[in-house]
Amino acid sequence: MKKLLVVLLALTLMAPVVAVAEDKAAGPKEFVVYLDKNAKDNHYIPSGWMGDYGDIKMNDQSADSPHTGTTSIQFIYSGKQSQTQGWAGVYWQNPANNWGNKKGGFDLTGMTKLTFWARGAKGGEVIQKVMVGGIKGTYPDSLMVEMGPIELTDTWKQYTVNLVGKDLTYVNGAFGWTATADLNPNGATFYIDDIKFESDASLKPEGKKQQAMPFYIYADRSSVVNHFIPSGWMGDYGDIKFDGSSKEDAYLGDTCVKVVYSGKATQGARWAGIFWQNPANNWGSVDSGFDLSLASKLTFWARGAVGGERIEEFKVGGIMGEFSDSDSATIGPVLLTKEWTQYTIDLKGKDMSYIIGGFAWSANVDNNPEGATFYLDEIKFE
Amino acid sequence: MWIITRKAQHSIWMRLSLSDSKKTVINIAGYRRFLLVACSVLLVFILSACQNSRGVYIQKLKNQHYRLMVGGRPYIVKGVCYNPIPIGSNHEYDWWSDPHKPWIADGKLMKEMGVNTIRLYQAHENSKEVKQVINDLYKLYGIRTLLGDWLGFWEYPCPFYGDKKFQEKVMQQVTEMVSLYKDEPGVLGWILGNENNYSCLGHVNPWSSPEVDSEPDPQKQKLMRAKIYYSFVNEISKQVHKIDPHHPVGLGNGELVGLDSANKFCQDVDFVACIIYRGKTFGNLFKSLRMTFDKPLLMAEFGADCYDAYLKKEDQNIQAFFLQSQWAQIYENLANNKSGAGNCIGGTVFEWTDEWWKHNSDDPQGWKIQDTESSWSNGSYYSDIRAEGNKNMNEEWFGIIALGAELENGINKRIPRKAYYVIREFWKNPVIKKTPVKKPR
Repeated sequence: MKKLLVVLLALTLMAPVVAVAEDKAAGPKEFVVYLDKNAKDNHYIPSGWMGDYGDIKMNDQSADSPHTGTTSIQFIYSGKQSQTQGWAGVYWQNPANNWGNKKGGFDLTGMTKLTFWARGAKGGEVIQKVMVGGIKGTYPDSLMVEMGPIELTDTWKQYTVNLVGKDLTYVNGAFGWTATADLNPNGATFYIDDIKFESDASLKPEGKKQQAMPFYIYADRSSVVNHFIPSGWMGDYGDIKFDGSSKEDAYLGDTCVKVVYSGKATQGARWAGIFWQNPANNWGSVDSGFDLSLASKLTFWARGAVGGERIEEFKVGGIMGEFSDSDSATIGPVLLTKEWTQYTIDLKGKDMSYIIGGFAWSANVDNNPEGATFYLDEIKFE
Repeated sequence: MWIITRKAQHSIWMRLSLSDSKKTVINIAGYRRFLLVACSVLLVFILSACQNSRGVYIQKLKNQHYRLMVGGRPYIVKGVCYNPIPIGSNHEYDWWSDPHKPWIADGKLMKEMGVNTIRLYQAHENSKEVKQVINDLYKLYGIRTLLGDWLGFWEYPCPFYGDKKFQEKVMQQVTEMVSLYKDEPGVLGWILGNENNYSCLGHVNPWSSPEVDSEPDPQKQKLMRAKIYYSFVNEISKQVHKIDPHHPVGLGNGELVGLDSANKFCQDVDFVACIIYRGKTFGNLFKSLRMTFDKPLLMAEFGADCYDAYLKKEDQNIQAFFLQSQWAQIYENLANNKSGAGNCIGGTVFEWTDEWWKHNSDDPQGWKIQDTESSWSNGSYYSDIRAEGNKNMNEEWFGIIALGAELENGINKRIPRKAYYVIREFWKNPVIKKTPVKKPR
């Protein structure tokens, strides 16, 4: 009997120790980015304002129906393009305003996802993308994961960024969002709450998913189905004027792309062009190609302002960098007519499994001595 | 052989017919079968011997893979592009008649590395000297030569591939080269042109013809030029085969540009010799070629420079990193490798030694210094793409052997770079991985 009592006593004393050890082995289950204004668990500050920062207003203690607690963060994005960027966004950083110049990131190894709650003031507001990591500099984040675009509803909804298999050893830019004027021509008011990293052992790594067809590059100015950004200006970039929301006789919908190429050889290259990239300005340095293996062609509509404009090349893929496009295909030279005409780039037999550069055009002075004005619409993979 | 057999058969038949037995008939039938099998084996042997004596040829395997055969054995081209211009000279320098014979010292280093082939872009006009180089390299080191011809690409004002007289001139030049050197045992094959296909697009040395000029659609013009050019190369290839059936003919081509036209008009070449600068990976190149122009592929020019245009200093690590990755992909796509396309027959890396004249070929002062100014941009070589104006390609720094200003045996000192040793080790033990090498440190 005595022996039994001793064993029971020992087990009673041991139990908490074992539990603590198990807890320790399992590690923390979550790591908070933002819960509530002044919550002691908050680890990051929404200090990294980007792009048209003048278009952003932030209320970090909005009491307007928070998801939990007493506050959420309200963002009002005007879309007025105060800094003429066409987009704006905010990163949560540690410490504030750390663009990789200070050591302040956390080792979040063991976390497998980031979750956050969001809602729009009216519904229909579009967040172009959310990011986890991706800040560069002397102390760069160890990962860069993007998700989007997200069309918000007027009720709270939870969103998850899968981080399984990602390197979370150094995370300074814990969370960020961007919105564009194209996707929100009248601005957007939205709320974000309860942002946290979580450890979820049941989550599986997110495979590279094959994109369903049709896969749009440009449907309409504010279309949520648009992909790739016309950010890769090449050659005499000073010769180009780009309007992604031209209302001059769009082929379909309200708007089309209008390009005015002056042919003045501003940079001395005597040619110019634009690549649609993912993400913006990615010349192969960011691992973010789309898997477009299901595409057998890219089609687009084009017309010249007067007819006779000569485009040397229309192109899919071909960006070469640390992360190169898996293939490329071209047509050209193309002489445009005044009438809308559909053109096709044949992709049969091409490896479209990894595409950063979705679409591009290039023209030169020699064949357009007076410059060229042309329009593009309904650019899509099929 | 056949007569003796028939005689012997007749004599046996006569002898056996006298004994008149059923067993005898069976024996004769068995003997006939034996003779048939023996003859078949003999025929196969003779055919095989004939093929071996053909020298160099390309074999298409049952799995549709291609391999190069030399003397009846599979041959992987482990090569370098060779143009040993000394410090202080430019491309006009006649190294073939250099009394110090740079190829002797180079050949020794090449052999130690494992090089079995050099690529020469154009033969010199002095055939005795050309034969000397080919024979020295082959007899001393077992190194074979791929001999090329520019096909008039640099003729002033441009290569008029649509002009009959121009065609005849080029044809004569090539056939003369083939006739002169086809019997040299060190010759591995012929390469017609280099990046001449770009002239069809108007990118380099643009040319036209009255027929092309009469076509208003520029896209059709491009296709017409491609048809003219590749048809012409096809005619040359046919002619070369007539003169020399024992060596394969390659089509030099920049990237895969225009090969859909080559597929229609240039089927008589034996392989494609591609010039590719895609950084650490060749991407979908091998499979793409299968789809567009199903011919064996020689990576005739590829590589990486070893000057970091961003940090403005030599970087041997990044060159070695890119080259090892490129060779791993070449090996992955050789015949009988399940993970590849099976259409690659090897490569000739650009290049053996640095060439100090390339940045400014008209400035004799510039030939004496190794220029660090980049002349063009290529994002595939991402390590120094942040250089000013994104210009990151340093033409004078592509050698896997650096040149020293001091002379050794009358030629600039040869200083092997890291890539030399890395490739040497790779060839000894070619390990192919999907992500071939760690980033350099």
